[in-house]
Amino acid sequence: MSTVAQEPVPSVGSFGTLERKRVHENPGNQFQYPALHSLAAPHIDSFNAIFQGTDSSPSWISAALKDIPPKVVHDHLKGAKSAAYIEDSDEEDHGEQTSTNKLGNRIQFWIDSVDLTKPMANLGGDQSHIQRIYPSEARDCSTSYQGKLQAKVCWRVNHGPVLSDVCPMGYLPVMVKSNRCNTEHLSPKEHIRHREESEDFGGYFVINGNEKIVRLLIAQRRNYIMGINRPTFADRGPAYTTYGTSIRCVRPDQSSSTMTLHYLSNGVLTLRFYIDKREYLVPYMIILRALVDTSDRDVFLALARGDVENTFLTERIELLLRSFSPLGLFTQQQCLEYLGVRFHSALSLPEEYTPAQIGKELLRQCISVHVTDNQEKFNVLVAMAQKLYALVAGECSPDNADSAQNQEVLLPGQIYTGLLKENLEGYLDNILFRIRQDVSRGSRLCNFSDPVYVTRMLRRSNPDVGRKLHYFLSTGNLVSRSGLDLLQSGGFVIIAERINFLRYLAHFRCIHRGAFFAEMKTTTVRKLRPESWGFLCPVHTPDGSPCGLLNHLSYTCQVSHRTPDVSKLPGLLVSLGMSQVLHGHVSNPNHITVQLDGRVIGYCSPHLAVDIARKLRHLKVSKQHNLPLDMEIGYVPVSHGGQYPGLYLFTTPCRMVRPVKYLSSKANYDIVGSFEQVYMDIACVDEDVIPNVTTHQEYAPTYIMSVLANMTPFSDFNPSPRNMYQCQMGKQTMGTPAQALKCRSDNKLYVLQTGQTPIVRSRLHNAYAFDEYPNGTNACVAVISYTGYDMEDAMILNKSGHERGFAYGSVYKSELVDLTSQARRGGGPVTLQFGLGEMDEDSPARRTLDVDGLPFVGAHLKAGDAFYAFYDTERKRTVVKSYKGPEEGYVDSVRLLGQDDITRPLQRIKIVVRIPRAPLIGDKFSSRHGQKGVCSQKWPSVDMPFSESGVQPDVIINPHAFPSRMTIGMFVESMAAKAGAMHGNPQDCTPFQFSEDYTASEHFGEQLAKAGFNYYGNEPMYSGITGKEFEADIYFGVVYYQRLRHMVNDKFQVRSTGTINPLTRQPVKGRKRAGGIRFGEMERDSLIAHGTAYLLQDRLLHCSDYCQTHVCKLCGSIVSPVNVPSAFANPGSREFSKYKSVVECKTCATADGITVISLPYVFKYLASELGAMNIRMTLKVD
Amino acid sequence: MNAGNPPQMPTTGMPISMPVAMVYLCADCGEDNEIKPKEPIRCRTCGHRVLYKKRTARMVQFEAR
Repeated sequence: MSTVAQEPVPSVGSFGTLERKRVHENPGNQFQYPALHSLAAPHIDSFNAIFQGTDSSPSWISAALKDIPPKVVHDHLKGAKSAAYIEDSDEEDHGEQTSTNKLGNRIQFWIDSVDLTKPMANLGGDQSHIQRIYPSEARDCSTSYQGKLQAKVCWRVNHGPVLSDVCPMGYLPVMVKSNRCNTEHLSPKEHIRHREESEDFGGYFVINGNEKIVRLLIAQRRNYIMGINRPTFADRGPAYTTYGTSIRCVRPDQSSSTMTLHYLSNGVLTLRFYIDKREYLVPYMIILRALVDTSDRDVFLALARGDVENTFLTERIELLLRSFSPLGLFTQQQCLEYLGVRFHSALSLPEEYTPAQIGKELLRQCISVHVTDNQEKFNVLVAMAQKLYALVAGECSPDNADSAQNQEVLLPGQIYTGLLKENLEGYLDNILFRIRQDVSRGSRLCNFSDPVYVTRMLRRSNPDVGRKLHYFLSTGNLVSRSGLDLLQSGGFVIIAERINFLRYLAHFRCIHRGAFFAEMKTTTVRKLRPESWGFLCPVHTPDGSPCGLLNHLSYTCQVSHRTPDVSKLPGLLVSLGMSQVLHGHVSNPNHITVQLDGRVIGYCSPHLAVDIARKLRHLKVSKQHNLPLDMEIGYVPVSHGGQYPGLYLFTTPCRMVRPVKYLSSKANYDIVGSFEQVYMDIACVDEDVIPNVTTHQEYAPTYIMSVLANMTPFSDFNPSPRNMYQCQMGKQTMGTPAQALKCRSDNKLYVLQTGQTPIVRSRLHNAYAFDEYPNGTNACVAVISYTGYDMEDAMILNKSGHERGFAYGSVYKSELVDLTSQARRGGGPVTLQFGLGEMDEDSPARRTLDVDGLPFVGAHLKAGDAFYAFYDTERKRTVVKSYKGPEEGYVDSVRLLGQDDITRPLQRIKIVVRIPRAPLIGDKFSSRHGQKGVCSQKWPSVDMPFSESGVQPDVIINPHAFPSRMTIGMFVESMAAKAGAMHGNPQDCTPFQFSEDYTASEHFGEQLAKAGFNYYGNEPMYSGITGKEFEADIYFGVVYYQRLRHMVNDKFQVRSTGTINPLTRQPVKGRKRAGGIRFGEMERDSLIAHGTAYLLQDRLLHCSDYCQTHVCKLCGSIVSPVNVPSAFANPGSREFSKYKSVVECKTCATADGITVISLPYVFKYLASELGAMNIRMTLKVD
Repeated sequence: MNAGNPPQMPTTGMPISMPVAMVYLCADCGEDNEIKPKEPIRCRTCGHRVLYKKRTARMVQFEAR
């Protein structure tokens, strides 16, 4: 740091106003902010990978289609001609032609390929009118941005030719700026042409007009064996212990399957896995022996790895082997059949499959799915057992699932592929189901060799896969048979709210731990761990319930998305000295494993491993041997009770990686992952470098923070909670949500009318386009206790400043009107049409309504004014709907929305109303240092204090806001901006620039002195009321103030009388329904304590459920007095009259004891409830 | 209810006495579009399906406080 601090802090240059103006006037073909576009990369890359493969790896969806097990039906016809069917893939096991004969003709279905077209619309009637549609149209029309999904479904009867048909699969939502989006390659200029933001970076879906994002989630690191010591494991059954190892295996299509190996106290190991959310526990040995044709001896050698001296290990392996022998399974075939018989119903496989084939399919679908070769699966299982034994023996520690080392990111594309795969498979199953129905019914039409019959079946089995995905994106709920190996079934999708640009950005970088952990009582998952250094921002997490669960990626953190070709890597490692795994080969027990993406590829000595890791990294950074730069080389050294040693290489997608400077080579750009980082020597700043130890160094210490955290000026001067608060408040600021405001129709938009660029800004401010979306105002702030209205974080606004437009904002509310939904019959002919019908020219509604029944653009609307009108052709009358309000607003725009069906007239409109929101007393403001406050007065300008140069503050805050909060950054900002304003240059506020040798106050003090101000930032001021100079100098400077979106107009709640609950007759709650605020028990207590009995009665009785009721003095009941028609009443009673009814007590049968008392109505209700339970309540009434 | 030929057959008691054409702006190409009631919402130039209502020509005056 010293090197930075010695030289003067670099200036950020100019404000770039002219340059920006030039670009805005003539937007070019180049994006101005490439950094901005990389923020959404994890979303877009993962979506792109679904449909687009690379040379080394197929697209995710084609891998998924390949993974779907065969779908077969038989027609059970006796005289099937060519029944003998031999599957191409495994002919050797398919010799049983006799059984096939019984089954009759065989038809197999599969999906060959899936294609998603770019979003198109047919605007005319014929093909020539098909046009591309752009996201803005979907936003405007409140529809979804989706492309047509088509699948090539193939089938084959017996051994005949392959037939295929292209089936429409509905419309699938498309991610904006992905390779299936029409805006993919558009330049800023074209973006503007198509009514998008010029720098729109995509990554979201447009669903029903809303921008939706699939949240990034934390997942267990794939293909890495985790040691677990979890108390709940012991509850699984007798002999189960708390120990286990678990591996989340990921297939090439990015779907995963987790296996857990349990350790039982009787020496047995059990493997746990899931099929369609159902849990299965299978003895480890059966799986092991089913995978490979081995002997017990081979298994022993593989597990013990020559460590025969270790009696702890050998005894347990012996127990394991002995426990298996009673089953009497001696060969691989027997084991496969054993499994096949038991898993026959769990896996829905073709009827013709033999038990052994089913067993094989089970191994393919559920066991170590990240590798395909059975020998490799075997090796993975062996490695799991070895780690488990080491864990039980205490040789290694359990792995921490909450540490970033053992985590990766679950990307939107993965969930999307998983859902697609499942729904496509569901479609095939549906076809099978229908054909089976026909077969069992003996339908005459059922003829496999008739393509017409088959295609009819294809069409009939509702193939609307797109709608399922649409449902997922609109609700965030995962409807899935398998659960996709996820812990939660909802909350996957969030709306990308455009409150302001900061909020919008943060949505793309937020990463959630999972809904499952939100309910956990323990706080361990929420802890900030050193392993997440550089990947997850330590500052940017909300306070309150999601604290620590909802994190944000640091701004340099990337998510790997490629699946590189690593087939040459084992060879390279062998050339570096690694010895390969040979089956039955006894290796040295002291050697550690080398695993590549969860495949055991060899062994080497720990000493050699260090060497290999070092050489490999050098080769990687210098781009030799085609090694992927984001490959992780995680060497875990041998330790006593530490992490299980080994050399772990990862090249898979979805890992969190980040750039770090590599010191010992000229090519210094290295990418480091979260697994390897733990064992690497990365210096943060120059002082931290230890010669011959440190291999890497951070490019800048700010790399560890998120974009938002980096925006906090001088955050290194503030206590960390204040920086957290700023990250929260920055996202609630009324700012500039979008530049294409005219083209947007979001439900609610908050816009600051006169946003400014901050004078004090960090270096990243420009890189992330914050000047395009101003978020606040530079305000002159005096720290002074002046008016008495600034206690407790209240702040005073200068009334003249306010009148000049300081922090003036507007809210744009849009309303979609759909007449088809208001019509009495949906889907029929159009009965409602916009228009005035036969309305009088002088009708009051004509003040706001035009002849087309829509409001005038620019009309002023008060609550109750006519909003739009339509004519009901059925009832022959005009319906005028009124503006609900309650606030006054102006009609900003009226959009007429067309429909796909061109024969229908106008049915849908969207009206945007602008509601002016000048700052009011009670509105919330904040600086960028977690210092929020509420405006308590608009102080007249003449009474404001003024400085020697005559400057008045825009904002006055109380000095008490500082001592306890220690936000020194705000002081520094005040000084820096004051100097910057005087010298006309922006000030750099990137943290970690200053040191004890070169302080911030020194740096900015000099500048202030040069501008003729006091060196320390305070100055003499005069009272605006008396004109006298204050005894103390006042700290006076410029601070960037944000206006928060919490405004009194949205919050105030007042009522005297109003709606009541019909049952209890008490006031209802809720601001929307003009309800009251609960005057609760504690409030009641305080009134009692004050002895204010009248107030108590007023609040709890008169303003609530006051009621008068009859009570019978004789029996004391308030339930029994009833109205009796006078004809039936006791004629002797005094009030007897021919017409009036009389109140009589039903139990006493007289009206003599009836009197009227006042009560809370709930009391009366209670009496009748008790009466219903046969409990009599009596009142003693005198 | 065939909107392909709207001027045809005004059914008895049809409410809108005289079909008043309104001019709207296309959201995509910005062209003026004259649309009569019951006509589909389509820009005649580019076929876009979103049209904007023009700002009123009436004088808009509010009490300035």
